[in-house]
Amino acid sequence: MLTVTNLEITYNDIILALKGISLRVPKGRIVALLGANGAGKSTTIRTISGIRKTLDLKIEDGQVEFDGQVINDLEPHEIVAIGLMQVPEGRRIFAELTVEENLIIGSYSLSDRRKFVQNLERAFTYFPILKARRDQMAGYLSGGEQQMLAIARALMADPKLVMLDEPSLGLAPLVVQEIFEIISRINQDEGVGILLVEQNATAALSIAHHGYIIETGRIMLEGTSEALKENRDIREFYLGLTEVGAKKSFRDVKHYKRRKRWLS
Amino acid sequence: MEKIIEIVLSGLSMGSIYSLLALGFVLIFKSTGVLNFAQGEFAMVGAFICYTFASLMKLPYLVAFPIAIVLGAVLGVVIYALFLRRMIGESIFSTIMLTVGLASILTSTAGLIWGHDVYLLASPFTNKVVSIRGIILSQGALYTILVSLILFIVFLRFFNHSLLGISMKGTAEDTDTAGLMGINVRMIHMIAWAIGGIVAALAGMFLAEQSFVRLEMSHVGIKAMAAAILGGMDSIAGAVLGGVIVGIVESFASSYLSGLEFANFHTGDIKEVAAFAVMILVLMIRPQGIFGKEKVERV
Repeated sequence: MLTVTNLEITYNDIILALKGISLRVPKGRIVALLGANGAGKSTTIRTISGIRKTLDLKIEDGQVEFDGQVINDLEPHEIVAIGLMQVPEGRRIFAELTVEENLIIGSYSLSDRRKFVQNLERAFTYFPILKARRDQMAGYLSGGEQQMLAIARALMADPKLVMLDEPSLGLAPLVVQEIFEIISRINQDEGVGILLVEQNATAALSIAHHGYIIETGRIMLEGTSEALKENRDIREFYLGLTEVGAKKSFRDVKHYKRRKRWLS
Repeated sequence: MEKIIEIVLSGLSMGSIYSLLALGFVLIFKSTGVLNFAQGEFAMVGAFICYTFASLMKLPYLVAFPIAIVLGAVLGVVIYALFLRRMIGESIFSTIMLTVGLASILTSTAGLIWGHDVYLLASPFTNKVVSIRGIILSQGALYTILVSLILFIVFLRFFNHSLLGISMKGTAEDTDTAGLMGINVRMIHMIAWAIGGIVAALAGMFLAEQSFVRLEMSHVGIKAMAAAILGGMDSIAGAVLGGVIVGIVESFASSYLSGLEFANFHTGDIKEVAAFAVMILVLMIRPQGIFGKEKVERV
C-alpha cells in the first residue's frame, strides 16, 4: 500500500540524510523500521507525511507512493485526507487542550461527522484511561498516557496506515509492552497498516511482521521479523544477545561499537 | 453612586472597543505568530467603509454595517494572502516592521480616498440617550457593550465547542502537528486574519459611534495592544479583560482628573497615558500578563 522507492533526501541542501532507501508497507501489516540515532528513521517518515518543507528537507530522487498515488509533493493535510496518519516523535500532543479536544482535532479530516462519536467510543475502548481523563488538560497526563493519546488521536481519522515515530521513547518497559500490545490489537481488529519506527528493536520485532534495518541513510537489511530475530548481527547489535542467547554484557557491545566506528 | 455607574458603563463601552481590537491582536498572534501593528488601521478603514455606504451612498445603517464587516474580513484575508503568507515563521522583527509599514500605507491610502477631514457617521443611535433610574447613558455606548458582549460569548463558544475553533487553538499551539492531523494550516491562518479584520471593522464602527470618523482613529490600535499585552498575549479571555480594564481606568481618569490643574499640568491628560501606566504596573507584577502563560514568546 505504501511504497517508497530509492528515496534520496538532503537536509539543508547539503547533508545527504537518506541515500536512496526503498521500503514497502503492505495493506494491514506491521512493518518495523529499526535503527540507531541519526540513521534517518524520522527523516523517512517526515518525508512521507509531507512536513519536510518546514524542516528544510528536499527530495533529490525517488518517490513515495500511497494507494497508487504519488505523494511526493502533497501538503500534510492532503496526505492525511487520503488515509496516511503520523504519530509524531515525542508525542506532540496539544498540551494546553483537554484530552477530548485533542481527539476532536484528530478527527478533523473525517468528512462524515456522524462517525465521530463512533470513533471516539472506539478510541476509549482501546485506551480506557483516556475516557477517565477526557476533561483533563493533556499536558498533565503521564508519558505513557500521552503516547496513548497520540495514538488514539491518529485513530480518530480512520486512517488506512499509521506511522508511529518511536512510541517507546522515554517510557518504562512495562508501559512500552502495554502500548505495543494495543498497537498489535489495533492492527488485527481494524486492519490498519502500521509503519513502526523504533530504536527498541526487541519490542518492535515482537509485534512486527516485517522489518527493515536502516543505518546512516541506507537500508542494510530487511526480512520477516522471525528472520531478523535469528540474524546473527541483529541479535548482537540490536537485541544485545550472544550466540547462545544469553544477555551480553554492555561492556562488550560498547567495545565492539567503538571498534566498528573506527572501521567504518 | 449613579456617577460611578455611569463612569463604569462609559468605560465599558470604550473598553469593549479595546477588547475587540485586542482580540484581533491575540487571534492573529496566536495562530500565525505575527504581531499585527496595522490592527488600528484596519479599524479606521472599517469605519470609513461604513461611512461610505451609510453617509455617502445613503444606504440604511443596518445595511452598511454588515457590508463593512464583510469587507473588513476581506481586507484581513487580502493582507494575509498578499504580504504575510510568506512571512510565517520568519523573524518576529521583520513581520512587525512589515505590519508597521502596512499601517502607514493603509493610512495614506485612506487619506487619498477619503481625505483628511473629520466626518460624522450617523447611526440610529447617534445623540440619543437612555436614562434608567437617573443613570444617563448614550444609546451608542449601550449598543457597543451589548453587541461586544454577544460577540465575546459567540467567540468563547466557537473556541471551546466547534471543530474549527478547537483546531485553531491546536494550530496556535503546534502548527506542524496540526498539519499532521489533517488541518489545512494556511486556511486556519486565513480565517484568523479574517476574524481579525472583522473585529477591527466592528471596533472602528463602534469608535465612530462615540466620536467621529477620521484617520487618527487608528491610534486606538496602540492602546488596544497595551490591553492585549496586559491581558496576556496568548489568551482570548485576557484580551477581553485587558480591554475592559484599560477602558474603565481611562474613564475614571478622565472624569475625576479632568479640569484640575497643578502648576500648568492638566491632570485630565493623564487619561491618555492611563492605559500604558496600568500596563506597565501589571507587567511589573506579572510579566506574562494577567492570563498569559509563563512561557510566552517575548516580543
